[in-house]
Amino acid sequence: MITFDGVSFTYEAAQRSRRKRRSRGGEPQPADWGRLPDDLWALADLSFTLEDGELFGIAGHTGSGKSTLIQLANGLLQPTYGTVTANGHNLADKHAAAEARRDVGVVFQYPERQLFAATVFDDVAFGPRNLGLSADEVEARVREGLAMVHLDVDKIGQRNPFALSGGQQRRVAFAGVLAMRPSTLILDEPAAGLDPQARKSFLNLVVELHRKQGLTVVIVSHNMDDLAELCDRILVLNNGHMHALGTPEEVFADEPGLRAIGLGVPQAVSLANNLAKRGYSLPLGTGLPTLDSLAHAIAARCQHNIAE
Amino acid sequence: MARNALFGRYWEADSIIHNLDPRTKLVGVIFWMVITFSAANFPALGVVVVATLALCFLARVPLGQAFRSIAPLSFIIVLTALFNLFWVQGGAVLAQWGFIQISEEGVRMAIFISIRLTVLLLAGSMLTLTTTTLDITEAFERLLAPLARIGVPAHEFAMILGIALRFLPQFAEELQTIRIAQLARGAKLATSPTKSGIAGLTSLLVPLFASAFRHADTLASAMDARCYHGAQGRTRLLPLAFTRNDAIAAAALVALLAVVLLISHIL
Repeated sequence: MITFDGVSFTYEAAQRSRRKRRSRGGEPQPADWGRLPDDLWALADLSFTLEDGELFGIAGHTGSGKSTLIQLANGLLQPTYGTVTANGHNLADKHAAAEARRDVGVVFQYPERQLFAATVFDDVAFGPRNLGLSADEVEARVREGLAMVHLDVDKIGQRNPFALSGGQQRRVAFAGVLAMRPSTLILDEPAAGLDPQARKSFLNLVVELHRKQGLTVVIVSHNMDDLAELCDRILVLNNGHMHALGTPEEVFADEPGLRAIGLGVPQAVSLANNLAKRGYSLPLGTGLPTLDSLAHAIAARCQHNIAE
Repeated sequence: MARNALFGRYWEADSIIHNLDPRTKLVGVIFWMVITFSAANFPALGVVVVATLALCFLARVPLGQAFRSIAPLSFIIVLTALFNLFWVQGGAVLAQWGFIQISEEGVRMAIFISIRLTVLLLAGSMLTLTTTTLDITEAFERLLAPLARIGVPAHEFAMILGIALRFLPQFAEELQTIRIAQLARGAKLATSPTKSGIAGLTSLLVPLFASAFRHADTLASAMDARCYHGAQGRTRLLPLAFTRNDAIAAAALVALLAVVLLISHIL
């Protein structure tokens, strides 16, 4: 469980304190959320809780504070204001931050670009070795990590990671994070740059890990279709502020609001909304429409029309 | 912050110095170094210091920004100063611990050298603060042009310089991304860079090199796609041209050198 409590973060903290020392005039006035509005806030007054075992989505356009949020969640950055706690421990504490770094696995964007070792085995072993585990334990972890991404250590363990295909490289990089045995996984645009088939199988893999291993998963993405399909809850960020937080149904109910901040809604929702606007009421049940359920509803309505 | 402090970041402004011909500035910086090294005593160095501050003022670069841009190189100044402090002997002994002693002459030299180096770095940063990398490369190419006749690939050198300068901040940023990713896998890079050892270092350098090759490939394709074929028949939208200000700048530099030499050797 990771809790953000009133978290604000700026990369300019050093400069700001310097400026403050210099200016002898009146103190600048904080904005209504209590921080100086002129500074560049990567995150502003963010509070939410990531529950154990949920599949959580984070949406927001470039520069909305997503990457900052990731680094705060595993203790790589410290909030300027507010606190981040993981399993009850405040990450301002060095030991808690180190523990969080192990417990919260982060798969960054294009993780294959961080591959470096001469063999697949060594690359996946990098994390476990940093934990100071014995050689046997390291090997067991590598085997386990690669198995989780459906790769066989005996087949590709001794191969050069740079000689693998793009999709395989990403799996190897993913295995490197899984070998740390995290209880929470954060994936930043996990499917970016993959072809449709590799994309589907990679996302299926993530869902499988979530269901079978009970991992808490956070997916950061631009792709609303993916988020709507996969996530239990979605957090929408806009310029560092929380725009919305809730189930996909709740979040995607407000199409104009999402459009206004440069995001959209899933294709099926957009289509259904458009149809509704033109007066076609469809027998769509509850919950978010998917492309399948939408197609069924349209077909049902056509049949209904013909029958009349 | 490291991003803002990069040596050679361009400072956008409209000043006399910004509008000088980049060739003037490139040669001027070299000349400024000659002047700085010609200053052999404190009064002469004082003149150079005043001139450098005036240059800063003329370029409309805030002094703080200028110093921030040389801050990453300040260790050179500190090291040289310490070296002189302990090495140079002469005059009264000010302090002594065993065989180590600091003398009057040592202190004098340490201060002199620190000021000289600071001025040198400041003048150097003035070039990059007031000139875009594109202009610097072009000036470099034009200055090398006479050598092209005897077979020196001037244009290629300039292109290499330009690309290197262009990708410096890019690689700084990517290194940061890679560092964060490896830290997230438990690499002990932050706590002690010396003890993290070979594995820690390769985990940063190999991805960085891989990325450099990837960029090189893409860049080569992009240049190909734009029919780039070297210097032959290449024209400029805005050809460089000397103005009256460049002549004034050159005269000012020569005058400064004369004054510094005069003070150094006659006074």
